[in-house]
Amino acid sequence: MFHDGKTLRRVINPIYFPQYKSLTESGFFKTLIGNGLLIPHVENSASEDKIVITPEEIPFITNPYEWSFEQFKHAALHTLKIQKYALSKGYILKDASAYNVTFHKGKPVFIDTLSFDFYEEGTPWRAYKQFITHFFGPLVLAKYHGTEVFKMLQTHIDGIPVKLIASMLPGKSKLSSTLFTNIHLLAKMESKHSEDYKAETKVAKLSKKAQSNILESLFDFIKKLEIKEASEWGDYYSKTNYETEAFQAKKELIKNWVAPLQPQKLIDVGGNDGTFARTVLDNVPHVIVTDIDSNAVDFNYKQIRQNKETNMLPFVCDVLQPAPGIGFNNTERNSLIERLQEYAPDVTMALALIHHITLSGNVPFEKSAEFFAKFSKNLIIEFPTREDSWVESLLVRKREFINHFDFYNEVNFEEGYNKYFKLEKKEAVTGTKRILYLFKTLN
Amino acid sequence: MNYFLYFDPGLGAMIVQAIVAVAAGVLLFSKNVMYKVKAFFGLLKKDDETYDSIDIEEQDTDTHDPAQK
Repeated sequence: MFHDGKTLRRVINPIYFPQYKSLTESGFFKTLIGNGLLIPHVENSASEDKIVITPEEIPFITNPYEWSFEQFKHAALHTLKIQKYALSKGYILKDASAYNVTFHKGKPVFIDTLSFDFYEEGTPWRAYKQFITHFFGPLVLAKYHGTEVFKMLQTHIDGIPVKLIASMLPGKSKLSSTLFTNIHLLAKMESKHSEDYKAETKVAKLSKKAQSNILESLFDFIKKLEIKEASEWGDYYSKTNYETEAFQAKKELIKNWVAPLQPQKLIDVGGNDGTFARTVLDNVPHVIVTDIDSNAVDFNYKQIRQNKETNMLPFVCDVLQPAPGIGFNNTERNSLIERLQEYAPDVTMALALIHHITLSGNVPFEKSAEFFAKFSKNLIIEFPTREDSWVESLLVRKREFINHFDFYNEVNFEEGYNKYFKLEKKEAVTGTKRILYLFKTLN
Repeated sequence: MNYFLYFDPGLGAMIVQAIVAVAAGVLLFSKNVMYKVKAFFGLLKKDDETYDSIDIEEQDTDTHDPAQK
């Protein structure tokens, strides 16, 4: 893999030529690409010692620990679908890493074109354990413990260890034949055979049909997985503290401010289910919406699928704790800031967010300004004043420390942001105790 | 050893698949029986969600596969 200017290209070495040629000539790649399962690529050059391909560009890569439940689930089903099809055509996925899937044009897509190999008759799936540690385990754990468990993948880049998954599941999970065999039994077998240093134990044969059965039963099981949180969601905006008219006024204001900026790329940080980003969706080629609430992201993802929107990318992000760079040298998976800097959105929106950053996160205005300035050109930020009911509630909860937060006001806010930005526009949102600002970065 | 095997598949994981497959086979068999029973009584629901089925639609690409000719 290398970068040719801004374009990502991949080099295929002679050792992989037979596979690559077979996958191309049999129409395997064509079917997967035609079905939108695999990222399309073009072959740039082919010589005796290397073939160079260029995959279609993906504007922004999200990582598994940034997915909502439904996204995670679809990525898992996506991988199984590809492996089952590969198997039927005499190939296999040689790895089942969750990082081989990302979200693009409103759907999951497999991005590792060179992950396929020939199937050898009678061999078990060598990526099986990886599928369990990257996909199946985290999903099952999320069912019992919520989507917070996906964050464990930040500290376990090659998936959650099977033993750990097994230990975190309730005893009753052993009653399910799928969970018992794929997790509890697997964990037992793994520790039993972990000292086979010389690879002496013979690996049992597994027929193609048997492997296909494993895939299908995992697929059926995952398809039916659900989390409790999800059903409670959906009435978020009935919980907001402002009236329908104010809601409309805010939408209009945002629309009018975004239009003259003519953004190609826009990010709405803390954008909930994408309600406000959707007001500009038709005029912006690529829109990212993040939220700390996995359910809101889930709800957004469902809307994207329903409306068949291809230019919206939702993912889970806690602004107070953005995803770090992980893996070897801290560079295997880039940090959120690095990815955002590369993405370079033309407009950044942060609506109803600053009071959470400042009051819940105890982050001074100057520091949050520094954060936004790292990747933003134009920043549309909403400032709920002290009279806003949410701010009031956040302040009251500080109890005896309430006086420590006297700095939370318009003047100090502007002062902090003026260190990194130039104030362009400022307007009160009608019917609310909130002010909308448009800032431009200084450099 | 295979060249492209850059991670440890785990010996236990390779062996356990034989047992996993048996359990999976039983489940799928009962699912198929249920499917047939439901079909007989006309109780099947139609669902066109992308992730409803593991199978991929092949369109016209089958012609490239010599094994199927």
